[in-house]
Order: sequence, then structure tokens, then C-alpha cells
Amino acid sequence: MITVKNLQKSFGKNVVLRGIDANIQKGEVVVVIGPSGSGKSTFLRCLNRLEEAGGGEILFENKPITDKKNNIDKTREKMGMVFQQFNLFPHKTVLENITLAPIKLQGISKAEADKRAEVLLQSVGLADKKSAYPAQLSGGQKQRIAIVRALAMQPHVMLFDEPTSALDPEMVGEVLDVMKKLAEDGMTMVIVTHEMGFAREVGDRILFMDGGVIVEEGTPDEVFGAPKNGRTQDFLSKVL
Amino acid sequence: MRLKKITHLMLALLLTVLAVYPGYAHAEAQNASASDTPEKKTIKVGLSADFAPYEFIMTVDGNSKIVGSDVMIAEQIASDMGAELQLENMPFDSLLPALQSGRIDMVISGMTPTDERRQNVDFSDLYYVSRQVILTRAGDVDKYKTMDELAGKPIGVQTGSIQEEIANGIPDAQVTAVKSISDVVSLLLSDRVDAAVFEGPVAESQVKNRAGLGIAEAVPEDSDTPMAIAVEKGNTGLLTQINSTLERLNSENAVDEYIRQANEMNTGETAPGNIFSFFWKYRGFYGDGVKYTLLLSALGVLFGFLIGLLIALLRLSGVKILKWIAVVYTEVLRGTPMLVQLLIIHFGFATAFDIKFTVLQSGIITLSINSSAYLAEIFRAGIQGVDKGQMEAARSLGMPYGMAMRTIVIPQAIKSVLPAIGNEFVVIIKESSIVSFIGVADLMFQANAVRTLTYSGLYPLVIAAAIYLVMTLILSKLLNVFERRLSAGDNR
Repeated sequence: MITVKNLQKSFGKNVVLRGIDANIQKGEVVVVIGPSGSGKSTFLRCLNRLEEAGGGEILFENKPITDKKNNIDKTREKMGMVFQQFNLFPHKTVLENITLAPIKLQGISKAEADKRAEVLLQSVGLADKKSAYPAQLSGGQKQRIAIVRALAMQPHVMLFDEPTSALDPEMVGEVLDVMKKLAEDGMTMVIVTHEMGFAREVGDRILFMDGGVIVEEGTPDEVFGAPKNGRTQDFLSKVL
Repeated sequence: MRLKKITHLMLALLLTVLAVYPGYAHAEAQNASASDTPEKKTIKVGLSADFAPYEFIMTVDGNSKIVGSDVMIAEQIASDMGAELQLENMPFDSLLPALQSGRIDMVISGMTPTDERRQNVDFSDLYYVSRQVILTRAGDVDKYKTMDELAGKPIGVQTGSIQEEIANGIPDAQVTAVKSISDVVSLLLSDRVDAAVFEGPVAESQVKNRAGLGIAEAVPEDSDTPMAIAVEKGNTGLLTQINSTLERLNSENAVDEYIRQANEMNTGETAPGNIFSFFWKYRGFYGDGVKYTLLLSALGVLFGFLIGLLIALLRLSGVKILKWIAVVYTEVLRGTPMLVQLLIIHFGFATAFDIKFTVLQSGIITLSINSSAYLAEIFRAGIQGVDKGQMEAARSLGMPYGMAMRTIVIPQAIKSVLPAIGNEFVVIIKESSIVSFIGVADLMFQANAVRTLTYSGLYPLVIAAAIYLVMTLILSKLLNVFERRLSAGDNR
């Protein structure tokens, strides 16, 4: 579904990605782990071009989205993204946050968008919050709404950028549960996270990044159980 | 959703204003003696109507009207030409620029054909020769028996007038030049100057109508001041017609008679001593003025808002040339006085590029672009203050840049800078008063008209101040309500 070829990226003189090759299959849950500064968030943000790649190529559903001619807005409609800081729209209600993009971009009626939103809200246990404003919600609730907002566009893939890092510990579980359910339903997901337990349990494949490259990849059992690379072993010994 | 509502509201406002606008378009200054006979040609005569008995404002049946001996001459010229007379009242020193920029056809305003003026405009034959006198406070009349006694004294005159030149000729005199005759009298009565150079009949009408004034014995040398009618340079056709009318009037000794009649008319209004009855008596003036001030402010705010937003977006667009344009626009408009901008737009454009805006258009354009520069900086601060994640979240959902800006970023930006925007709106209402300079009959202009009419220095201005205050307070209140509405998402 997503093919990344020799992806490179620098911020000024600071080289962040030094040639990444990756392949993400439909229905696969890929978890990207690694020390901070390893380039994993940048890698994820390059996938929907919130960061412009400095070199290399990204294919999404066989289309080269790094190509200048590609309409990235149309591509992004099929790639949902969830941010560390939630980034809900504070001047809109929960329902408006969720229905805004489907109504404006997919041209569906408000009634249909509302129905779609309510079903999704139900599935994350927040149906009663539809008229609330983001400022009235807890962090965990905000992040669940942010996931629902992305899902309302019916994306083909979901990108998660450290979705639990800004949460108080007691709220991490409720967000991870939602993500787990999503994975079980067959959603293709790319997740950057520090939650190793979750990565091991939910991930189909683990990418370990360090210094702007993918150092090691494999199933959770392979990477967590018997890491081959020294840097992977070093990292895992610190976080586990 | 909410921004859409605001846009609709603004659009509705704009349409309303545009629908109303033609109604105002004619009545630029005031008292265009307009009966709409389209086939009849109109002739526009400029004058500065605070120069009784030559030209001054009177209330006739509750309506203000420009009258005086110059007006009677103008009526004669118009009727000889078979044209409709339209009077354009404006400050004295705006008359010649208005003539040169082709906004008026002639100036009949007690104007003396000096050599300097002759370089820029052409003059008719003389129609009257008046003398100059020294106006002073009643108690000081005996102090100034000769011109020598005025040496080194503070002297008041009207800007750009022949009296200013005379005053400048007095040795060591400290000359203060102000915009209107009533300002000169106020200077005198408030002891800011000790004497003022005045046209003889004008001084007499001031003495007649205002306590505490007197005419000194001293007489300026070469005090005979001829008056002539100014036309655009090279307009000999019009000049010939004017001169033939003047010849006829001279042969009938009509001008002296006009001045006598005008002096009789100018009995001075007996203005009520109580400020409330004073206001009630002249409410028509203030009402007319408020209409223009509101129209100017509303359009200034509306266009200033839209242009300011556009400039802020250009500045943040990341395209170098657009950013550069926005920076230059903002810096130039913030860094130059609004009065200079107004005069350039109204007079400069007309003479240099033949772009002739009406006084109202010039006023609206100046207010809009001036405030847009300030608002652009406010918007820029607001937009930059919105968390970057908002734009990213909107874009990640597939929204194009423009839509994300419009629906997500700008509403939050505006909400956060609303108090600053409110400030700027209040400033626009107040600053709109400078358009009186080019002759828009706004609140300030009308307050000055009432001053001239009543020979009263305080009440007309206090009333104008009170009306400005009421308008700005109402606006602040409305903005508060709006702010509360927008803060829906803030309650925790």
C-alpha cells in the first residue's frame, strides 16, 4: 500500500533521514520505535507530506505522491493522521470537529456526516460528548475524538505520531484500546510510539530506527525477543 | 460555520451601504442647490462659507443654507450661463487644489488675485475691492492706533488667505494661521493672539454678532484688497462669460447692494444658552454629519478589515514578492500621516493622473487603506499566534491551504485579536474627522459650520465630542457582545 524508496530529509544542515526503504502492506500494523531524534516522527510526517521529502520517492496505492503533479490534498483524504498534541479545533464542537472535513471535502450531507460521526463516537464511548467543546474534555477523550475525526474521512491508512506521549498515564490505556480495536478491524496503521508493550502486542511488524536509518525490522517476537543489531539491543535494554 | 455567518453579515452590510450610497453621492459638501433637471448643465462654484457677509451659513426654516454676496454673484453668473448652480463648501486652502484638480469650475470666495495664485489659476476682472482692518478685543481697541504698534505681537489669520500675507509683513509679528475665520476669532478671544487681520466687512459682521470684539484704528498699508473669481488656468471661454456678467453687475452697482443685503441677513443666530437646547436647535446639522461619519466609518472598517486580512495573508504567504509588497504597503501607510495620504489621493491623483474621486470616495479610500495597514499587522500577529498544529491537522484531513486558513486558522486568529481590532475600529471613527479637511460634510465639518453660524466657540465642539463618544461607546459594547459570542469554546 505504501512503498518508500530511499527517502531522505534534512532540516538545514541537520540530516534527519539518510535513505529509508520500507513497504507497508494493506491491513498491516507497522510500529516504528527508536530513540528520540532517530527520525521516526519525521519519517511518519513525510508519508503524508506534512514534511516535504528531500530525496527519494513514496508510492501510495501505486501512485508516486512525492511527485509534484500529485494532488496531495486528495491523497491526504485517504491517510488519516493522529498527532501527539491532538490538535482538535478549539472553536468547534466535537461533532463539528468530526464532520467538518467529510462535509467540505467529500460533499456528503450534514445529516449523513452526523450519523457517521455518531456511530464512530459510540464505538469510542464518547457519544455523550458530541456537543462539548475540546476545552471541556480530558486528554484521553481529546485523543479519542482526534482518532474519530481522522476515521470520519474513511481513510485507507492511519498514521499515529506518538499518540499517547502527551497523556497522563491513567489515560494512555483508553487510547491504546481504541487503537487495538482499530487494528483488529483490519485498518492499515503506521504507529510511532514509545509504548513497547503495545508495540509488541498489536504490531505485525516493528521498525527500529536510529540515526536516520532503519537499523532493524521484523516481527515483534524477532525484534523484542532476539534483537540482532547492537543498537537495537542497547535501546531495548534501556526501555524495557 | 460561524465565519460564514460573519461573511454573510458583512456582505449584507456592504450591499446595504452600496444601495444607500447613491443617495449620498450628490450631496458631497452640502447644499447643492439641486433640482434634478438632467438636461441643464451644472456649474460648480467652490467657496469657504465662513466669511460673512461674502459667504456664510444660515438656517432657513431649519435647513442650513449657504448665502452671502458672493453667492448672489454666483447665482447671476449661473443664470447668465443658463446653468444650474451647485455650491461646494470647503476649507479656504482646499479651494485652489479643488479647482486645479477639476472638481469645481470656479472659486468665488472673496479671493484676492495675488501673483502667486495667478501662477496656478486664472482670474476674472475684479468685482469688489475691500479694505483690511485690525480686529482685536474690545478692551484693546485703543492700543493699536498705528500698524507700528503691532510689531512683535501675536497675530491670528486664516491659512492661505491674503490676510496671512499682510500679517507676515508686520515686523517681528508672531503669526498664527488657522483653518477658519471662527478659529481666528477663538484665538483672539482666548488671548492666544492680540490682534487679527480681517477683511473689513467680515470684521464688522463679527463685531456685530459676537461680544468682546472691536476694530482698531490701525489700518494695514496697501490695505485695498481686490476680489476676483478664479477659474482653471487657460479656461478663457468660461472667463469671458464670467467677465461679461461682472461687467453688467458693475454697471448696476449690484455688488455693493449685495453686500448690504447680505449684511442685513447676517443678523447672527441667537443661540440658546443651554447646551441641550443648543443641540436641539442644531440637531439637523449634527444629524447630517453623523450620517456621513457613520457611512465613512462603516465602509472604512469593512474595507480596512478585508484589505488588512488580505495584506496579512500576502505577508505570511511565503512567496517572496508578495511578502515584499505587503511589507512595503504596511510600512508606507503606517509611516506617513493620514492627512498627507488624504490630500495625495484627493488632490494629487486628480492633478497627476486625472483620477477624480469624489470627496466621499477619497475619504473612504484613505480611511480604508490607512486602517488596513494597522489591521494587517494585528491579523498577522493573530494568525502567527495560532498553534501550528491547527494548520497541520486541517491539512492532514485533506483540506487545501485556503480552506484550512479560512475555516480553522483565521477564525481563531480573529478571536484572539478581537480587542485589538476593536481598538482600531474606534480609532477609525475618530480619525474619520479629518475628511472634513477636503469638504466631506461629516460630523466635524458640521460642528465647524455650527461654530461659524452661532459665533459660539465651545458648545458646537462639546456636542461633537459627545456624539463621537456615544458612537465609540456603542461600538465597544457591540464588540463586547460579539466577543462573548465567539468565546463559546472557552468555558471549561
